[in-house]
Amino acid sequence: MNNETQLRERCREALELTKRHGADEVEIFAQMSHAISADIEKHDLQTSSSQEETMIGIRALVNQQVGFACTNVLDELETTCADAVNLAKASPKDENNVLSEPVPFESLPDLYDPKAESFSVSDAVQQMILMIETADSIDSRLILGGGTFAVNLQTRCIVNTRGIDLAENSSLFTYYALATAKDGAKVSNMAFHFDASHSVDGIDVVPVATRACQDALGSLGAVQGESFVGPVILSPSAVQAVLVNLFAFQLNAKNALRGSSRWGKALGETIAHPSLTVIDNGRMPGGVATESFDREGMPHCELTLIDSGVAAALMHNAYTAVAMNVANTSHSSGSARSTPGISPTNLSIRPGEASKDELIGDIKQGLLVNRFSGSSNPVSGDFSGVAKAAYLIKDGKLDRPVSGTLIAGNVFEALQNLSGMSSETERVFAATLPYLRLEGVSVTAE
Amino acid sequence: MQELLERIAARSSGWIELRFQGRSTKQIAVRNGELEESSSKRIQGIGVRALVDGVFGFASTTDLTEQGILRTVEAAQGAARTSASAKKQRIKGLAAASFGVGTFPVATDDPLDAHPLEEKLALVMRIDERVRRGSSSIVSSSASYAEIQDEKIIVTSDGARTHLFVSIPEFRVMAVAQKNGDQCFGNKSNSVAGGWSDLLELLPPEEMADYAVRMAVEQLTAPHPPGGLATVVLDPGLVGVLSHEAIGHTVEADIVLGGAITADKMNEKVASELITMIDSGGSEHLPHATGTLAVDDEGVVTRKTTLIENGVLRSYLHNRETAAHFGVEPTGNARAFEYSDAPIIRMRNTYIEPGDTSIEDLIAGVDDGYYMCGLGFGGQADSNAEFMFGVREARRIQNGKVGELVRGATLTGNAFDVLHSVDAVGSDFRWDLGAGTCGKSQAAKVDAGGPHLRCKAMIGGRQ
Repeated sequence: MNNETQLRERCREALELTKRHGADEVEIFAQMSHAISADIEKHDLQTSSSQEETMIGIRALVNQQVGFACTNVLDELETTCADAVNLAKASPKDENNVLSEPVPFESLPDLYDPKAESFSVSDAVQQMILMIETADSIDSRLILGGGTFAVNLQTRCIVNTRGIDLAENSSLFTYYALATAKDGAKVSNMAFHFDASHSVDGIDVVPVATRACQDALGSLGAVQGESFVGPVILSPSAVQAVLVNLFAFQLNAKNALRGSSRWGKALGETIAHPSLTVIDNGRMPGGVATESFDREGMPHCELTLIDSGVAAALMHNAYTAVAMNVANTSHSSGSARSTPGISPTNLSIRPGEASKDELIGDIKQGLLVNRFSGSSNPVSGDFSGVAKAAYLIKDGKLDRPVSGTLIAGNVFEALQNLSGMSSETERVFAATLPYLRLEGVSVTAE
Repeated sequence: MQELLERIAARSSGWIELRFQGRSTKQIAVRNGELEESSSKRIQGIGVRALVDGVFGFASTTDLTEQGILRTVEAAQGAARTSASAKKQRIKGLAAASFGVGTFPVATDDPLDAHPLEEKLALVMRIDERVRRGSSSIVSSSASYAEIQDEKIIVTSDGARTHLFVSIPEFRVMAVAQKNGDQCFGNKSNSVAGGWSDLLELLPPEEMADYAVRMAVEQLTAPHPPGGLATVVLDPGLVGVLSHEAIGHTVEADIVLGGAITADKMNEKVASELITMIDSGGSEHLPHATGTLAVDDEGVVTRKTTLIENGVLRSYLHNRETAAHFGVEPTGNARAFEYSDAPIIRMRNTYIEPGDTSIEDLIAGVDDGYYMCGLGFGGQADSNAEFMFGVREARRIQNGKVGELVRGATLTGNAFDVLHSVDAVGSDFRWDLGAGTCGKSQAAKVDAGGPHLRCKAMIGGRQ
């Protein structure tokens, strides 16, 4: 019996058990995973590991009261089913507690590579050795302070009393490198790069290690910067740190329902410069978060969240779609360990037409921020933090690497003052992002 | 289970560690008067670490049969052998340790299971409502309760025989206030190692709710601070964050070996002589600190470790591997969050010892500066001790008096520079790391705190 069939049978068994314990409606979401990882620390191999687990999450509805319980102790499955029902009975009624209805759709190809089944701990270790060799071949001053190569083979299954009965296999290889350069007393900022592949043939750790090493070398010898209020260019990594969490929070329909999202009340209104278009696509070929269906069994789709500066759509799951009387956008997220939440999948900002160098080219005094180490408050929009691997821009050129430079501003204001985005994009975890140029950012040199 | 693990460990070739963990968690979350989550989780499994040819391998399983565990031992040994051929720095041995042999129960008179779900749900609903009714400016409220209960059995082939129980409840409150389209949030969280009444008595949820409302509402009209170097009085919450996040990680021996700023500073002056910093498995000064732990996940009895003594760096935090490397005793800092995590070096309860200055005198000595309380939104620190913390509550101090709130302040700098600049240490003490979860490739429940401190630090603000 293959994993998919085995897991489906377990889910159907749990569904019947939960009904028998008194649930009106039941959703079973399960994940069977086999994971491998190999790590680098201090430019050397560290502990490699393997892990296997089957987790079953049970959502029980009794008179629209909801309870959730999960377990990896499959011998105690019936106890967990009963727990979910008992939690539901002790909860208040909420008429928005509903389960998704089945929708016909086509499963996505290329999520699972059968060759991944024979990918071993030894193969993962070889990829880490290749990262170290790549750094050694570039410059002897480089240290890979950290890095991981992780493999996750997973079977997801969802069964509910509305008729959803789905299962899907996936394979995902993720890898990153953290590089530092050291030259005598000079130590660079830590540089980070990441990539991922669903297939064995798509794995390529060399560009990841190379980019991290080049960024680390570039920030060696950083000196004090300058204080000013002016243009700042955020790298894709810095865009992810400053903007993506705020997008995820503000465009989450649950936060709109709670009244904690200002964009939740601004659909159809201009919230950013017309050059900004933000799209989420859970079916993006090769995307880190690409899956055929969401946490509640709805097929993923492409959704424009911000269209030429206008707030175009919120992300919904079954609960918020009913509560707000709109269509479900299939953004139910989470694992079998938790109740469904709402998150973006593969979020992207539409690139511009100018190159990164052209964005720099007409700046008299500015800052290029390759990594942002700080906070970005998704409610107030205030951001403040240290510009890492940063360069002062003078008269259209990168003048010198700078350290100890703080940037601060407000995302809502900054998005109105966008003055450019690059044609180049990079993948940062599940997001695909260009360089962004913001005006009027407060820059403070220590 | 312990007998089975002992039998497997005794038969094993080479060093192995077998760690069973059974974990039960419960979570209740309410937002705007509506139940958002009522859930329970039950997981169990075994993590196996093997040392082969000077290299660790790790594997985990949920198959608790003898055959299943033996397969996992083979997987861990295989992973170690795979890495051994290419690893440059081999582990030369593990330091001898004082093992925690026996059973270590939870220290509380009021176990969590003695309180039914209905009681916990009613409290969360009541606190959420208190937030909502706290001010007409509140547009969103939330309150949540979570608990973790662990049973661990740790057996090693060289003598650890630990049966450990852990109980950690936590409470969180959040408020969002709105005015003219601008929104600000206030929050407060707390956790303890202990039982139900330990959580509620140390910091009543009603106080947490009132504080969150006050912070959210006051920030709506607060100005942003100007950036720059300033004299600041830090409360025990921020002293704890500084101790844990900006200093503590730089003295974790694995980070030290990776090139942390402390690597060549042992027995050197790294802070003002007013500073003595501790990391402990105990809960000194006040009970029930969240990181309280009798035995670590290598089965080693936890110790009170003096990291900085009167400004001089005295110790790193060790597991058995790094203790052997440095030729010292293990400090009991090896921890794993779940059975599927390999133990790594983590802090427990990290704090600065109180001094002899009253809070009033600390503040009275500031002509122009800030009183800064608690970790706000976001916080990061590097192994060179450079840090950036969002501040939950920052107020101007002018002519020795605490005044207006400022909004969106951050605290940045190098933690050792900040500790060098300390010119007065308060006589008070408080554990105050909120819900106390630290992330370092896996989670760990920790605590931190101390007295108030007066020092100099960079304030991130607006030009």
